[in-house]
Amino acid sequence: MGDFNIFHHMPWSSTYSIYFFTIGISAALFFFSALSWFREEFRSLRNSAFYLSFVLLAVSGVLLIGDLSKPARFLNIMNPAYLNFTSPLTWGGLNLISFGLVSLAYFFMMRKNDEVMSRKLAVVGSLLALGLPVYTGFDLTVHQNRPVWNTPLMPILFVAMSLVSGAAVASFLGKGTEKLQAMLRGFMLWSAAAVGIMLISLLGTTAYGGTGQELTFMFMTSGTLGGIFIGVGILLGTAAPILLLLAPFGRQQSGMMLSALLLLIGGMALRYSILVGGQIVQTYF
Amino acid sequence: MSELRTSSIETRGKPGLKRYAMVIDLRRCIGCDACMTACKAEFDVPLGVFRTWVPYKVVGTYPNVRKHFMPRLCNHCDDPPCVRSCPVGATYKVEDGGFVLQHYDRCIGCKACMASCPYNARFMLPKSRTYTDITSVVDKCTFCHHRVTQGLAPACVQTCIGRARIFGDLNDPGSEVSRLVATLPTQVLRPEEGTKPHVFYIGLDRNNSEHGRAVYNPLDVQAEDRQAFNNNHQG
Repeated sequence: MGDFNIFHHMPWSSTYSIYFFTIGISAALFFFSALSWFREEFRSLRNSAFYLSFVLLAVSGVLLIGDLSKPARFLNIMNPAYLNFTSPLTWGGLNLISFGLVSLAYFFMMRKNDEVMSRKLAVVGSLLALGLPVYTGFDLTVHQNRPVWNTPLMPILFVAMSLVSGAAVASFLGKGTEKLQAMLRGFMLWSAAAVGIMLISLLGTTAYGGTGQELTFMFMTSGTLGGIFIGVGILLGTAAPILLLLAPFGRQQSGMMLSALLLLIGGMALRYSILVGGQIVQTYF
Repeated sequence: MSELRTSSIETRGKPGLKRYAMVIDLRRCIGCDACMTACKAEFDVPLGVFRTWVPYKVVGTYPNVRKHFMPRLCNHCDDPPCVRSCPVGATYKVEDGGFVLQHYDRCIGCKACMASCPYNARFMLPKSRTYTDITSVVDKCTFCHHRVTQGLAPACVQTCIGRARIFGDLNDPGSEVSRLVATLPTQVLRPEEGTKPHVFYIGLDRNNSEHGRAVYNPLDVQAEDRQAFNNNHQG
């Protein structure tokens, strides 16, 4: 005892992790819808994946704007006189708006059955969709004083998590066709494996970092976040579904559904722990 | 200092430009908190948040113990991460003087600047205030820009009874801060972040300025206080 400091907030609350979750799924679902123009087995996902992607995009927008302390000023992010291109949030805002506009155009072209334009918009939209998890990763990476966040892994990790969660949701939407289920199983398995490998790497570099990193490692593995990060995020939400998907049961419909559910729970837990984990130690400084 | 790389927004060594800095002589600080009070009065800083604050640690072994005070404020970095991270340019660096300031009318409240500040110098203003209509935006120490540009010292410097806080232009070799920085061993907080702070400490022990292991096992009473604070001050 004998120490005194004032209290500090975590600047970014858990709402952001819900945003990371929904925008990641939205991006991946758009990608699966777009893929249907080039791979026949995804055909049954074309409409349903797109509609859900669009709904989640709208939900993400509301979450993002609602978390601003001056929500009405979100238009400032579109004011060319104000834009600061050294901030990943600027790029993210522009990416979100462009993705929304391309999604709208894609919707109208799909309705018109204009295959040529739909294909083109599918490609452009997929690239913009890729930008969404990449920018959310950069949102965290650029803060050089934050343990866990400040690693080049973050944008790639968010892309992989987006694919895992998106494929898990798509497996609920596209049940019935065997070929599609096999493809989605592959997506879930390989991207979950990529997430697992990146998490091991992340934990290793965090554990061997400076004081802040080391303390963050302690908080995330055995401290307040231990249960949600290690228990739910890694063991239940990443390792267990990988094992399930590798087992014969994981090739059946019910096994895939169970794995998808676990991956979704794990995806949310990982995003939450990474967001909060990077902020805990700093609140004591 | 010439061995350090300079970025495009740094004001170090630019002829004709001022580069204000504060030197805090920890040997002189008695922890009276007059600086916090003066700052609160100058800016109507709301309850629960601070532009400057004075944390302490008790060091030594009983009976030979003392309080080690470490006044804190925005470091008005030469390479401020908050300026980089603000998506709408609401945070900016004044070229002549090096002040890092806020456009309150631009701030959208995304809190990216708070996340990027290694010093926890930024805070969110509450939704309603009694005397001031600047609300729900991020605020911080301004180095008393309004006073300094009129030839006055910042409020915390003016009021410091032990002259622990010294303020002046580092680009002026004759100033007291230049002389102190040049002749005495000084430290800055978290130099590894590369922010090049403009608040220099004399007598800073890095054992006290680093994250302590105690944060991993805070006392229950501290955890309860913290929870109560968080419940009442949602960012």
